[in-house]
Amino acid sequence: MLKNFFLVAFRNFKKNKSFSVINISGLAIGMAAAILILLWVQNEMSFDRGYPKISRLYRMYNRDKFSGDLWAWGTTPKIMAPTLKKDYPEIEDAVRITYANFLFTLGDKKLTSSGNFVDSGFLNMFDLPMISGNPNKALGGIYNIVITQKFAKKFFGNDDPMGKTVKIDSADFFTVTGVLKDLPNNTSFNFDYLLPWSYLRRINQDDEFWGNNSVTTYVLLKPNASHASFDSKVKNMTIEHTKNGEKSTTEVFSYPLSKVYLYGKSENGKLTDGRIATVRLFSTIAGFILLIACINFMNLSTARSEKRGKEVGIRKVVGAGKFSLVSQFIGETILLALFAGIIALIIVQFSLPLYNQLVNKLLYLDYFNVYFWLEFFGFILFTGIVAGSYPAFFLSSFQPIKVLKGTFRAAHAAINPRKILVVAQFTFAIVLIISTIIVLNQINYAQSRETGYQKNNLIYMFLEGDMGKNYDLIKEGLLNNGAATGVTKSMSPITQRFSDGWGFSWQGSTPEDAKLDFVRLSSDADFLKVMGATLVEGRDIDIRNYPGDSTAMLLNETAVKKMRLKSPLGQIINGDGQNWKVTGVIKDFIFESPYDPVNPLMIMGPKSWFNVMHIKLNPGKPVAEDLKLAEQVFKQYNPQYPFGYHFVDKEYAKKFEDTKRTGTLAGLFAGLTIIISCLGLFGLAAYMAENRIKEIGVRKVLGASVANIASLLSKDFLKLVAISFVVASPVAWYAMHKWLADYNYRISIEWWVFALAGLLAMLISLLTVSFQAVKAAMANPVKSLRTE
Amino acid sequence: MIKITELEKVYRTEEVETIALNKLTMEVKDGEFVAVMGPSGCGKSTLLNILGLLDDPDNGSFMFNNIEVAHFNERKRADLRKHNIGFVFQSFNLIDELTVFENVELPLIYTGVKAAERKKRVEEVLDKVQIMHRRNHYPQQLSGGQQQRVAVARAVVNHPKLILADEPTGNLDSHNGNEVMELLTELNEQGTTIVMVTHSEHDARYSHRIIRMLDGQTVTENVLV
Repeated sequence: MLKNFFLVAFRNFKKNKSFSVINISGLAIGMAAAILILLWVQNEMSFDRGYPKISRLYRMYNRDKFSGDLWAWGTTPKIMAPTLKKDYPEIEDAVRITYANFLFTLGDKKLTSSGNFVDSGFLNMFDLPMISGNPNKALGGIYNIVITQKFAKKFFGNDDPMGKTVKIDSADFFTVTGVLKDLPNNTSFNFDYLLPWSYLRRINQDDEFWGNNSVTTYVLLKPNASHASFDSKVKNMTIEHTKNGEKSTTEVFSYPLSKVYLYGKSENGKLTDGRIATVRLFSTIAGFILLIACINFMNLSTARSEKRGKEVGIRKVVGAGKFSLVSQFIGETILLALFAGIIALIIVQFSLPLYNQLVNKLLYLDYFNVYFWLEFFGFILFTGIVAGSYPAFFLSSFQPIKVLKGTFRAAHAAINPRKILVVAQFTFAIVLIISTIIVLNQINYAQSRETGYQKNNLIYMFLEGDMGKNYDLIKEGLLNNGAATGVTKSMSPITQRFSDGWGFSWQGSTPEDAKLDFVRLSSDADFLKVMGATLVEGRDIDIRNYPGDSTAMLLNETAVKKMRLKSPLGQIINGDGQNWKVTGVIKDFIFESPYDPVNPLMIMGPKSWFNVMHIKLNPGKPVAEDLKLAEQVFKQYNPQYPFGYHFVDKEYAKKFEDTKRTGTLAGLFAGLTIIISCLGLFGLAAYMAENRIKEIGVRKVLGASVANIASLLSKDFLKLVAISFVVASPVAWYAMHKWLADYNYRISIEWWVFALAGLLAMLISLLTVSFQAVKAAMANPVKSLRTE
Repeated sequence: MIKITELEKVYRTEEVETIALNKLTMEVKDGEFVAVMGPSGCGKSTLLNILGLLDDPDNGSFMFNNIEVAHFNERKRADLRKHNIGFVFQSFNLIDELTVFENVELPLIYTGVKAAERKKRVEEVLDKVQIMHRRNHYPQQLSGGQQQRVAVARAVVNHPKLILADEPTGNLDSHNGNEVMELLTELNEQGTTIVMVTHSEHDARYSHRIIRMLDGQTVTENVLV
């Protein structure tokens, strides 16, 4: 019996090549898209959840009230972890992690690379697989270093790195005591090497200040410890430790690490949803795309029912039961789905590099995993059953006498399921088109927002090696050799906020104002000139001409407004252990997200600190030449380090990457949906033309023109697309309204977006259908009439 | 074998009600060869469909081998049908995607006959209708007469007690038509009961008895033998 089914399936396939190609390619494209999305979903869902001790791992958070709103955030004081370990018996271990960036030297090989400082228990807590080294001891000594396989390869080639010595910066020598397997693609850790916390203390970067929230703290609870009771005990730890000094009001809580990645958004001081919303959205989209491909399949299969009807009739007459027919047709579909699935895998394999770039991940097909194949065949089976069920029940319900006597005609009811299916497809396609247009619009809108400073010809670099010490010499060198027209120091790049703080007071400030949060920058001199920012009143900070400017301060307009300062110039602002004197007010510029309103900003004088050097390259010369001249200066004053820099305009563009990714993905999904839907429409139109061939013949004999008939045949489909448009518009409006709500600086949704999307859908479907319609209309009527 | 009493069948559409069978009573004995004749729309095809358990009557009794089957559900009918009844249609109704051999094999598959036995029986019957040399051809590659011989082979491969033939020569020229009629006669002589609907007086003369129908009722019966 099975053999017989497969024979018929195979011969049907061969006989109706174009039908089969349309059907299988539609299904394959849909499956490929679904597999790609599901790979992403699977990766997201497994993020930071694979550590063996995950059920006992928690991350420490702070919670406090700012400007009336409760906030939760995940950076903690450095002193928190050792305090937890000392005072809380529920805890098995607590570790801190913070960022490290060093220059590595081995012989004449030099490499700057980023890693982490961690407490020595880190390796044991997360059980990251090691190739060599003992996780209990590897980070025990001050000058130990644990590196990843990739870093080892980069630095030591094929030599065994264990026990080898590398120089870090120009200062200290470290011994490799462990090599980690490359990190899996579903961990939030991202480092080339690990250095022991003891070294951080040695270079005087550790502190015991409860108000400096700068590191991440993880705890491992003991197997029987209750999380709830630990959480309630830990709540007031910062408040307790600061009651005799700075008097912090910050509460502490712990959050399961398994939830941090997906449910890590702070809302009213609680952590909820976050990325899981995107995961849900993408899963839904994957489901819909697959459904659309299945709908195609159903549509084409039932459209062909008049041809298969005879076979059904005969099989029934010679004794086939309904069950045997249903299983035959579903079996056939599963076979086709398998075929489509294999094609889909090939498509996925080839599109993964591009897709990875798009979603910024390292996804791959795990061919050597049994579960991968189980999932794959489960997926095939699922698709086959979904796509095959409706046609199977539809076909097997035919009355044999009707089909065999030729009185059988497919129903031409006003609403038949096939029409509903087409409407469903196009509704989804139109929603995606509208979404894509709106996302692209929003990006354009934010990109065209006035930045407030001049991005072009502006570069920055971190102060490394001797750059801090030789800063004045470097600045002079750059200005003298014509590489630059201005140089300034700051605590962070102009594109990235590193620091914010509160607790400031000034004349007329209220206790409430102590909770007003300011974002911070710093400057020595020439900030306005280098950045091209606009001064509203007063003057720039200039330490060379005004020695008192070490505690000078610039405010932006928003800060002035939030502080309610009538005449800001000369005001004294107390905070960070200094009295700062306002020397100037500058116009607001975009320092953080281009989608958000500008926050109050303080630019502090040299009594603060510096991490970054900004250089305005000489616009009179080509950029390449400027850079070459600049390199000469750096080689002279900071010879240990390779010359590296970032372009501000490129960094600024990165602020749009996430939204752009959303736009590209929405566009991609829209495109795929349209391709699949059109494949289906194309096939459907072909069958419709075939079914109405006699009608077309008669009409032509009676004098209808090709245009008459083509429009007659296209009209029905356009009606369906029009209905889809009506259904899709409110859905798209609602979805995009919600999406835009996340952006403070956003476009309003305008009617022309809908008109454009509707027109686009109409045009595409018209092109698809008219090809078949014109073909049918041009056929010789004598031929079609004789076939009766 | 067949005994129907006061059988009624009415087709309804929204506007029209058509009485296809109007209290029809008739009987067919084991081993008989009966021809049913009458003008278009007189109800002969409806009768054949009901006899073949493809359709059910609205009223009346239908005894098949002394069992009342008028009220049988779809599954029971399919079961009875596949073991007892073979069909021959005017338009042959072979499955285009299957070869001659596979078409004839189909009923045996559905009655669960083992593969080796199937092969033997299909070859036997193909031999009988003299189409063995075309066993691997597809229906479109055969002439009309050959196709109908395959259809007859398929109808008898399960050794049914009853063959229902719906204008079996309607699409054939007279030469091929006669061949098919002789084939049916031969089967009848070997013991198979045959009920045949036909428009052709010539074909009807192969039968034992002619039932003439009009407006859903029998009008006359001529016994030929």
